[in-house]
Amino acid sequence: MLIEGSGQPGSRRDFFRSMSGGMMGGALLSLLEGEVGAKPGQFPHYRPRAKSVIQLFMNGGPSQMDLFDPKPELDRMHGKSHFEKIAGEVENPQAAGALMRSPYRFSRHGQCGMSVSEVMPHLAECVDDIAFIRSMYTTNITHEPALFIAHSGRMQPGLPSIGSWVSYGLGSENRNLPAYVVLDDPGKLPVNGTQNWQAGFLPPEHQGTRFRATGAPVLNLKPAFPQPGAIGQLEREFIAKLNSGHHQQRPRQPRLSARMASYELAARMQLEASDALDLDQEKQETLELYGINREKSASYGRRCLIARRLVERGVRFVQLFIDFQIWDNHSNLKKGLLGCCEKTDQPVAGLLKDLKRRGLLEDTLVVWGGEFGRLPIAQLGDSKKVDNAGRDHNKNAMTTWMAGGGVKGGVVHGATDEIGLAAVKDRVSIPDWHATILHLLGIDHEHLVFNRNGLDERLTSVFEARVVNEILA
Amino acid sequence: MFFGLRLLPLLVAGLACPIPLHAAEDKGKVGHHDIVPVMQLRCTVCHGARKQEAGLDLRTPAGMLRGGESGPALVPGKPGESLILKKIHDGEMPPRRKLVAVSVKTMQSHEIELLTRWIELGAPMSEEKNDEGMVPEKKERDFWAFREPVAPEIPRFGEDGISSPVDAFILQGLKKKGLDFSPMADKRTLIRRATFDLTGLPPSPGEVREFLADKGQDAYSRLLDRLLDSPRYGERWGRYWLDVAGYSDSDGGQNSDPVRDHAWRYRDYVISSFNKDKPYDRFLMEQLAGDELAKPGTVPDAVLTDNLVATGFLRMGMDYTFANITGFVPDRIEVIDREMEVMSGTILGLTMKCAKCHDHKFDPILQKDYFRLLAIFKGAFDEHDWMRPRDGKGGAAYDVPWPTRYLPVPGAHRQWKKKNAPVEKQIAELKKDGGEEKNKEAIKALEVKRGPEPLIRALWDRGEPSTQYVLSRGDYRRPGDPVGPGVPGVLHSRKDSYSPEQPWAGAGKTGRRLAFARWVTRPDHPLTARVMVNRIWKHHFAHGIVDTLDNFGKAGSPPSHPRLLDWLSVEFARQGWSMKAMHRIIMTSRTYRQSSRVTARASGLDPDNRLLSRMPLRRLDAEALRDSLIFVAGQLDEQSRGGPPDVIEDREDGLVSVPRGGQGWRRSVYVLQRRTKIPTFLSIFDLPRMDPNCVKRPESTVALQALHLLNDGNVNQLADHFSQRLMSEAEDITSRIRLAYMLALSRLPSDVEMREVSGLVRELENRWQHDSGEKIEPVALRKKAFANLCRILFNVSEFQYVD
Repeated sequence: MLIEGSGQPGSRRDFFRSMSGGMMGGALLSLLEGEVGAKPGQFPHYRPRAKSVIQLFMNGGPSQMDLFDPKPELDRMHGKSHFEKIAGEVENPQAAGALMRSPYRFSRHGQCGMSVSEVMPHLAECVDDIAFIRSMYTTNITHEPALFIAHSGRMQPGLPSIGSWVSYGLGSENRNLPAYVVLDDPGKLPVNGTQNWQAGFLPPEHQGTRFRATGAPVLNLKPAFPQPGAIGQLEREFIAKLNSGHHQQRPRQPRLSARMASYELAARMQLEASDALDLDQEKQETLELYGINREKSASYGRRCLIARRLVERGVRFVQLFIDFQIWDNHSNLKKGLLGCCEKTDQPVAGLLKDLKRRGLLEDTLVVWGGEFGRLPIAQLGDSKKVDNAGRDHNKNAMTTWMAGGGVKGGVVHGATDEIGLAAVKDRVSIPDWHATILHLLGIDHEHLVFNRNGLDERLTSVFEARVVNEILA
Repeated sequence: MFFGLRLLPLLVAGLACPIPLHAAEDKGKVGHHDIVPVMQLRCTVCHGARKQEAGLDLRTPAGMLRGGESGPALVPGKPGESLILKKIHDGEMPPRRKLVAVSVKTMQSHEIELLTRWIELGAPMSEEKNDEGMVPEKKERDFWAFREPVAPEIPRFGEDGISSPVDAFILQGLKKKGLDFSPMADKRTLIRRATFDLTGLPPSPGEVREFLADKGQDAYSRLLDRLLDSPRYGERWGRYWLDVAGYSDSDGGQNSDPVRDHAWRYRDYVISSFNKDKPYDRFLMEQLAGDELAKPGTVPDAVLTDNLVATGFLRMGMDYTFANITGFVPDRIEVIDREMEVMSGTILGLTMKCAKCHDHKFDPILQKDYFRLLAIFKGAFDEHDWMRPRDGKGGAAYDVPWPTRYLPVPGAHRQWKKKNAPVEKQIAELKKDGGEEKNKEAIKALEVKRGPEPLIRALWDRGEPSTQYVLSRGDYRRPGDPVGPGVPGVLHSRKDSYSPEQPWAGAGKTGRRLAFARWVTRPDHPLTARVMVNRIWKHHFAHGIVDTLDNFGKAGSPPSHPRLLDWLSVEFARQGWSMKAMHRIIMTSRTYRQSSRVTARASGLDPDNRLLSRMPLRRLDAEALRDSLIFVAGQLDEQSRGGPPDVIEDREDGLVSVPRGGQGWRRSVYVLQRRTKIPTFLSIFDLPRMDPNCVKRPESTVALQALHLLNDGNVNQLADHFSQRLMSEAEDITSRIRLAYMLALSRLPSDVEMREVSGLVRELENRWQHDSGEKIEPVALRKKAFANLCRILFNVSEFQYVD
């Protein structure tokens, strides 16, 4: 079937221009490869350490000094004023209070002896598999631009997200599923909404496909109106018949065969996507490992488990978002941060443990982090009480971590200053972080390019980006 | 790739500490051109054009010396006695806790040092340098696109009966490869092709029958006349222009993606300009400098309105400067840069933006050229005297008067005010004595009654541009030499000096953009006509003669038929810049009337069809596909023009759709065009998000498209309407099938098809009866089966691809 006729390089090029890579396109491509004998691109550049990525995006900006980056000096300086030194860096100057110590206790875990806050007891069991980066920083203190930076490298909207770049570069391993799947929270979309997983100037098939955790997983996967299944079947068969006759009268038009293939793919996807989301196939013990049996962690746990099922099936990039921006703890830090951990700690640890025992962690890269960190000074509410204070945004320091697929376990990279205000040692920028993720997938960030209006665009843009070699296994 | 090694040292230095160039070059010398940019960045928002806090205006050295209520801002030679430095050192100015409200950042230490040194030196003026634009060397200019187009000699093919110059040039290319034209397309193919091309909709069955029956010699040319006269023409071709202009009904940039009121007037202006066949030179004049074209009161209100609405062209870009935190000077510069990108790519086919940070890598465009271009627009786009996109109110607490971007619609606004005078009075009455809160509901009701204020989102020159500096590396913190307005040197020939002047006495405008518009629309301009005829060609033949529609420079693709391009360009200007004349020239050619069938030989020798050995098979774009579904279903609401745009509905699961209005659905061009929440149907068929514009739409073929056309509720609704139409317009199963084919495919079914389709309808009826488990009335049953057939027709390739 499919491409017949000329076999001329020109027409094939034309064809790939409309079809290349990614969502359905990529799937279709792999389906065509055998017959056409053409490769979509030169990717990967070198042997990948990870086949898939699961990105656990923690919207809002998790507080590094209350989770992973203990600061004894901050305890000592608790209550001292610091605002004047950082005036330009505070989004809400009128609410700025004095330096504030962490309300939680830290203790050491695993063979590596990594310090983890008491609010993450489950993750603490996994530290020997994790590389923590304590010296991350970004360049904007407002959610919207910071999210664009975290996902697309630059603060402007409308640019492709990292998942789209990966889809564009590598396509999907599974011809029936998209390369880039987004599992957003049924509660509320994150800030910037669906723009977080947009394809920007890349072909639209590379945008993240939202899989819903319940109901039909993909928009329009099933008819939006009541109709017996056999009728739909009749419709599809007759369409295929008419299309085939139409195409026979128009030989050497590869776009017509591509279009017919897209209809076949649509039918197959219907089955495969539903299967991937069917958690009834899982054992009770597995559900409990992810905390799906507990009310607070059930929702995120379910999505972590679906993420595993998707990478098992060859989905390249799975991205999880959390309810709006729960990590944005401007007030009531002590209670709020605990709440975030109750929702996510066990599911995240469950995912790491489950991937590991199934041998999947070796080639699955798990990435955890938000759009920025938080300040060491208190953000005071109207009552001006420190007891229910929170922390304001901080672009100069945040902690993120990676695990699995080619990453060293039990290491800490970089450091912040004595009060956790700014990354000072071995600083890692967002472009560095993106370059590292691409590197683990076998892609050289400088050579994953898309020509737009004469300019070779890339995820790391014109920034100098460095792969964080220190955390590579 | 544009940031080469050559610039790297500068780049690194720039990151560490951005120092103005002058000072960097010569540490000793500091002049007012080093200081003015600092004042503009940190001070003039409260001590400048719109507001003189404490009576102080810091825009010029004279203003600084004059000082304000507390005396002069500086004492030359005596930094210790200069008030401005004292206030800065005390941390009093700029006031820290107010910075965000006015979108200003704190003063940097090197800026304070610079200011101190300048005062020490006695606050001297900078040496004025020669600001002439540089004309690149002849060999640089000697590139085809930078030379004015000259009508080439037309190849002669008398024996082949070739009468159209278009055909002569195309045939010449084909013959070189040993190819010839494909056979002529049949009449049914032609009417479908021409109708979709000019109106974006299929022909009606009556139109098809009439054309097939018309044996007159000029039947085809009369068909073109009819299509070009149709108001649907502007809706189709106006949309192409809206793509390159980056038309959007929202500001973008933030998650809220706020809706931009009144933008739709520009959409209507474009559609009606195309319908009126407004000469392209006039069309550009209005969009580039409508505010400087005519003195109010000297032309009819309608003309003045068009002129002002047209300037919306330069107001389409994404703009997040409505918020304090995203309204800093660099954010504003980005807004301006995007407009320049759209303007230069769309009109001049030049990637001027590449010259923002350094001289252009491929084309002889200097960095200075870019800033001279910015200076042309400075009277209207001034990052140091910014107009916010949303309203005229500033940070309320600090009373900063951000000017509004809206102008009243001439005439209409006056009438609106007059009509609403009593209502206004009532509202004012209710608001009195702090009644605003108490009478909220009543006021709101009156405001609804009053109706929307007729306003125009416009761009206009305010006559007081701040000085434009060349920004080293494009970095606003590194101002270099000041520059005046000017056009790119490479395109600047001796005979067309650029010399702006006041458009009329007492206009209070610089006239810079008007002079620019005049220069752009010169008939012998090397680029203007070429770029537009190439775009027209692209929309008829799928590829432009120059494939990179917005890049005619050296990094763009070379023209496949350079002499044809030049012939068309000269002809365009010669025919009074009439776009409809261009359509006639192109569409009456044999090239256009060829069959789209691909022979093995043509495919081998002309694989990409760059030689046009056949007509390309083309897919309907997003709007044409959606509009066609609506049209064949008999649900097209013909209301053209008028705002506000049709609203969209977005569902929790991400489906964005357009609900049916009272008269059906209007065409897609009238649907609210936000940067987010693009209707799912349009977006999966590649309607792009405007950022900043769309030069060429991608064409994807993905399973989501199939899923949408098969399973979407809105499409199902249309299939039902289509079926209902068949039920009421035809009697029996055979005539209904014939009508369905005529409506959807502009042809009758073959005998075999008729047999198969009638068999299918009966089978569907049986299935419905059997599987639904309940008794269905025969009439309802038939309608259901036909709705399935209608959906099938919506889904077949023949519906979506035009031969």
